[in-house]
Amino acid sequence: MFLAKLALKNLTRHKRRVLITASIIALGMAMFLIYDSIQTGLNELSFANIINLETGHIQVVDKEYWEQREKLPLKNLIAQSENLSSVIKEIPYFKAATPQLKFSANLNNGIDQLPVLACGIDSMTYSQVFTTKDYIIEGSMFNQGKQETILGKKLANLMDLKVGDYLTLIFKTKTNTFNTIDLKITGLLQTNNPKINENLVYLPLSLAQQSLNLEGKITGMTIRLKEDGVAQQVSEDLNQSLASLDNKLAAHSWRASAGEVIAMSKAETAEKLTIMSLILLMAAVGIVNTIILSSLERTKEIGMMKALGLKENEIIFIFMVEAMGIGLIGAILGSLLGSLVILYFNLYGINLTALLGGVGDWGLPVMGRLYGYWNLSAFIFVIAFGVIISLLSSILPARWVARKDPIEAMYGIHN
Amino acid sequence: MSLLKLQGVKKIYQQGRVEVEALRGIDLEIEAGEFTSIGGPSGSGKTTLLNMIGCLHRPTIGQIIFDGDEIEKLPKEELAMLRRHNLGFIFQDYNLIPVLTVYENVELALRLLGDVEKKEIKERVVNILKSVGLGDYINRKPNELSGGQKQRVSIARALVKEPKLVLADEPTANLDSKTSEDVLEVMLEMNQKLTTTFIFSTHDPQVMEYAKRLLTLKDGKIIEDRKNS
Ligand SMILES: Nc1ncnc2c1ncn2[C@@H]1O[C@H](COP(=O)(O)OP(=O)(O)OP(=O)(O)O)[C@@H](O)[C@H]1O
Ligand SMILES: [Mg+2]
Repeated sequence: MFLAKLALKNLTRHKRRVLITASIIALGMAMFLIYDSIQTGLNELSFANIINLETGHIQVVDKEYWEQREKLPLKNLIAQSENLSSVIKEIPYFKAATPQLKFSANLNNGIDQLPVLACGIDSMTYSQVFTTKDYIIEGSMFNQGKQETILGKKLANLMDLKVGDYLTLIFKTKTNTFNTIDLKITGLLQTNNPKINENLVYLPLSLAQQSLNLEGKITGMTIRLKEDGVAQQVSEDLNQSLASLDNKLAAHSWRASAGEVIAMSKAETAEKLTIMSLILLMAAVGIVNTIILSSLERTKEIGMMKALGLKENEIIFIFMVEAMGIGLIGAILGSLLGSLVILYFNLYGINLTALLGGVGDWGLPVMGRLYGYWNLSAFIFVIAFGVIISLLSSILPARWVARKDPIEAMYGIHN
Repeated sequence: MSLLKLQGVKKIYQQGRVEVEALRGIDLEIEAGEFTSIGGPSGSGKTTLLNMIGCLHRPTIGQIIFDGDEIEKLPKEELAMLRRHNLGFIFQDYNLIPVLTVYENVELALRLLGDVEKKEIKERVVNILKSVGLGDYINRKPNELSGGQKQRVSIARALVKEPKLVLADEPTANLDSKTSEDVLEVMLEMNQKLTTTFIFSTHDPQVMEYAKRLLTLKDGKIIEDRKNS
């Protein structure tokens, strides 16, 4: 313990050198923490957007429909039934469930036409499952049973539409004939999800069913749970119960729809590891350099320590503790610096829309402000990492120091 | 049996392409409790001889037996333990650790022994510092001391563990004659109280007079070995 104390006191000999080495490490660590915070924040935001605006926690659809879901077919739909509703209500953590009928349509404003995704919803239950309603920035939700609609503000702007205007949806029905509906716009949406802002038109479910000749049919039921984390497990359980009801039905947790985002976050993890290796290299070079410099200055002292009877291992120990001290200072400084930047992100956020010129379509379903995410494990990781790397990179130079001939060490400079 | 025995010890240093024979065959026996000085002109091999005895270097040829152990047969680790427990060093230029206080510099030597209790450590460190006249300087850092005071710290450090043998290479070279005599008095007192054996090198005839046995080196050989009455 005395030797450890001595080692830590040694850090005060060249405060500036120690501080510079520690700062290099700190900078790397802070970079990592900030990167991690933004990346995690981005993922969390993406996941939240997917759950809150697109998929809920669990979707129940026909197995064959699921395969074709990107094409929005009007085949393999499911019947709205009391049986299904009651099975769903019995799952653990159940909060709410809502039916949806999705179909592709062309949006016509009388001059231009644009392909969109139309979505028939039951506005009452829909708001219990999705947070879409909170993003209505002009007007309000439509009334069930009326020929009304809400849509993304961006889409509306593109089509030169505003609240109170009428739009026309043109689409093919179940029986492959063309049909149109005129809808009055009651509200405009601006969400964090670019897909919804640019591509979606919501209308009352019953109206959609009638117009498509699909009375009583829905694409699927979407379920909201009381907790995020349990979705996977609950959806597996639900699959079991569904099997006895109708073996064509299947439940899918939101993760199944978030595959792209999850894959992307894996790629980011690889990037993170690259950053980490660079930090590792920087830290190691700094530590090796510092140890070699200190040992050159202290050759006489090391000779004296050997004369006092210190073993090589004890001298190695002293230098390793010193290196560890530098690593620890670096990691703590880095954590502080990282915290400050992350705190700033948390208070003010980063404006993704401004950052990306409002395009918003860059792989992740996010827009708006990104807030840094506090990832405690990243901090623990960084501190442990700083200390361990410093320790490891000090071993070789410390051995080199400790093995020097004590006489050469003491008198070598003079002869 | 003598505490220390050197038989035919030679040391050859390589200085570039030239071989320097620093010691040319030393035969010497030192009994426990001796108070011996080594004199001789500069370059005669005093420092080299002390380093051989202190197990800091191995002889090129010859044998050193310390307390019954043949030193050249001991591995490095055991040599370190032997120095730690049985040998004290006093260096010409102090070699104190600048980040430690006077107290801690002395404490280090005692801590290394491992089996001394905290209370006893404190007692012994304070006592030895008092007896070298540094009772009031315990919490100073080395750079706040004069050269003479620093050397006294280094003496206290060598003596605090009460080793069997203390080796001092020109311990008084940097001290005025009054302080030199004080230091020699302390060494002599330890020699008598604890039967610690001392070997010190010096150029100073006044310091040499304290020795009970005087060795004189020249060109790596002992040319004189006499008792001092
Ligand atoms: N590490 C070394 N490498 C090469 N030569 C050395 C080394 N140490 C000592 N010598 C040489 O060995 C000889 C004896 O040196 P040593 O230092 O033992 O003499 P000394 O009696 O202590 O002299 P001084 O009174 O000046 O301290 C000298 O010629 C010196 O140059
Ligand atoms: Mg000398």
